[in-house]
Amino acid sequence: MTKSTLCTPAEHLHRRSFLKGTLLTGTGLTVANFGNLFGSKALAAETQKQKKRCILLWMNGGASQLDTFDMKPGRPTGGPFRPIPSKVDGLEVCEYLPKMAKIADKLAVIRSMKTQSPGHPDGIYHMHTCYKMSERTPHPEIGAVIAKYCGNMDADLPSFVRMGPTGNTGPGYLGPDYSPFSIKRDGKLPNFANGGVKPEVEERRTELYRFLEEEFAKSHAAEPFENHRLSKERAWRLMRAKEAFSLGDDWEKQKDRYGDTNFGRGCFQALKLIEEGVPFVEVGHDNYDSHANNFVCHKANMQQLDPAWSSLLIDLDQRGMLEDTLVVWMGEVGRTPKINNRAGRDHYVKAWTIALSGGGIQGGQVYGKTDEDGREVTEDPVSEGDLFATIYKSLGINHRKKHYWGQRPVWLTPEGSKPLDKLFA
Amino acid sequence: MPAFEKAELLREFHWNPDWVTAVSFLGSTRRLFAGNRLGEILEWELPEKFEPEEEGPDPIRSYQGHDNAITKLLSTKDGKELYSASFDHTLRRWDLETKPEKEEKIVLNAGTIYRQQFKRSGKKEEPVERTVSVCSKSKNLGGHEEWINALVLSWDETLLVSGDDGGKVLIRERSTGKERQSWEVEGWVHALAFSPDNKQAVVSERRPLVFDSAQRQAIKLWDVEKGEELKDLTEEYKKHYLPALAWSPDGETIAVGKGEDADGIIWLLDAKDGKQRKKLDPVHRYGVTDFAFHPDGKHLFSCGRDTVIRIWDFHEGKLVKELGKPRGGQFKDWIHAISLNHDGTLLAAADMAGQVNLWRLA
Repeated sequence: MTKSTLCTPAEHLHRRSFLKGTLLTGTGLTVANFGNLFGSKALAAETQKQKKRCILLWMNGGASQLDTFDMKPGRPTGGPFRPIPSKVDGLEVCEYLPKMAKIADKLAVIRSMKTQSPGHPDGIYHMHTCYKMSERTPHPEIGAVIAKYCGNMDADLPSFVRMGPTGNTGPGYLGPDYSPFSIKRDGKLPNFANGGVKPEVEERRTELYRFLEEEFAKSHAAEPFENHRLSKERAWRLMRAKEAFSLGDDWEKQKDRYGDTNFGRGCFQALKLIEEGVPFVEVGHDNYDSHANNFVCHKANMQQLDPAWSSLLIDLDQRGMLEDTLVVWMGEVGRTPKINNRAGRDHYVKAWTIALSGGGIQGGQVYGKTDEDGREVTEDPVSEGDLFATIYKSLGINHRKKHYWGQRPVWLTPEGSKPLDKLFA
Repeated sequence: MPAFEKAELLREFHWNPDWVTAVSFLGSTRRLFAGNRLGEILEWELPEKFEPEEEGPDPIRSYQGHDNAITKLLSTKDGKELYSASFDHTLRRWDLETKPEKEEKIVLNAGTIYRQQFKRSGKKEEPVERTVSVCSKSKNLGGHEEWINALVLSWDETLLVSGDDGGKVLIRERSTGKERQSWEVEGWVHALAFSPDNKQAVVSERRPLVFDSAQRQAIKLWDVEKGEELKDLTEEYKKHYLPALAWSPDGETIAVGKGEDADGIIWLLDAKDGKQRKKLDPVHRYGVTDFAFHPDGKHLFSCGRDTVIRIWDFHEGKLVKELGKPRGGQFKDWIHAISLNHDGTLLAAADMAGQVNLWRLA
């Protein structure tokens, strides 16, 4: 099947045009995810001007809302953690998130997520795309969408970077140009980035390879070849910009604040990449899938989460970047109010919590409500589409933007999705 | 006649507002205490003789003061002191002599009553109400700022040793409460045991992260007087969480139980050098939770997440008897803790299903 990478008709390019566009650059420096091959100069200028960014802190496996931000102390569903007051009236948080409690005025906590996909694969897909996995349309994940609409076409750095346990839904109908660039879970570059030859030798090899690829592409215009070429281009571009991934002495100074953990380092790496202009970074944190021993699992995880997340928000704020950087804290599912007889909590999608900060979101508020045991949403239910509409609104992206999968129109969010306007300042 | 041949289940004391997590006889008395995940403690006065046709007895007292899960209960041999450790960061000594302050109704099947509101069909149970005396006088011994998971008395009962999830091990004089020694371990204190000569402690640690390099499992021998590490035994057990430890009364054996895994192995270590001497078979499926050495000095009792209690001849490394049956699969309840009475004729088990099981051993 021929796969369309296409969006609006205006952006609807034939592969030949695509290749031509690439060749016109001469050196092939404008490549997928590292710049917007399909974007107009006007669009690029607009995104440049906006400088909207997003960091997704992905709680892989699904963090427990009842043990973090929607606690039910004294109820049979409550568990052993105790709430502590936060900086925000009416928002108590888990005792193992003391640093987050102090900066809760930067958080908008949505306690009323009511979603549809209770498993891991379908939940990961759904919470990365806002569409069900069972649909035949390959929807792009959030990072790909943000890479497309907020990416910097002149950047050497990728527009979509991810690290750690996050799932990998892919760019879907947006095409491989918006594929994620995955680095190690501690934020370091993959091994291939540490080349063993001198830069000038590498450069000569690269030029030769490009020439051969371009000649080959003239007579073999098949998508796999093109994807391969794009991947190589990414690697070369990355070589040029790889210093951005080197935290150097900075990390030594910051690791006590962020926590000397993979996730802590990942959050600091995300900050640095955002500073460098990368519009979307996803940092995964393992593993919240606590069907057994939920409480010790969450306690251990929160002791890593709390310093990393809070330091990230503080640093974004101090750099004046929080207003334009949306930080999303979520996973694929919530966890059951009922505590099972393995001291665990299972998957739950009827009433769970995510948190947003920055990006024009008004901090210090709680959206939605659940009942006394956390079993049902009692106020302001939020669907996947509503959440994504909110995220896209925060980033200046039209959540009802129409794209095409082949001849079929598709939209960034499902019909009926509405941004949570109350969250915006 | 083989030992424990006639062991039998005497009573199930139903108490299901939440999981029963700790249990202890009070010295040589007939008083039995159990704690649950809510932080409640109940007391039963056991009769000298159990008549087959009779039920009960009912609980008589409630001890209030904790507000989070009870993790350990233990008493002195003279039956005068009861200690409790909890997730609420407190270690309490209960005043058992003072008069109860009031009486209160409790619902023994409160968990069932709560759960049945979500069931559309099936027989509805009526609340089982009992009146108990309420005692709330206890002294918080302090010293901890995290969940206390480990609590033991030295064999001569002069020292009280506790460990918490902050990694703190605290040794204090029982009579005065004065701190004798303390040290920090890198992980969370999961379990500890004390040598009969009061010179050594064995401490297991955990940090239960998944797929993360900061995950930690460790087991070490410590010099109690100096608070210094004597020997690191972790290498052989580094992939295992070890929630159950016990030091034999003769000082020669350390029992180590593996938890939170499909095969809850019990290893017997030579206390002199920490080397593994025996591995007991069969395993407690899904993990070991607690140990108790029998006063006869020959037998070790173990329990686990398979809802079975096993009696071992620990010198021979052989299974003597099993009490109870696996309720089936990892999604069933587990036995949290066991306690033997002073002469080893009775065994009580804290059952997650919301009951205390009382076994006659001889």
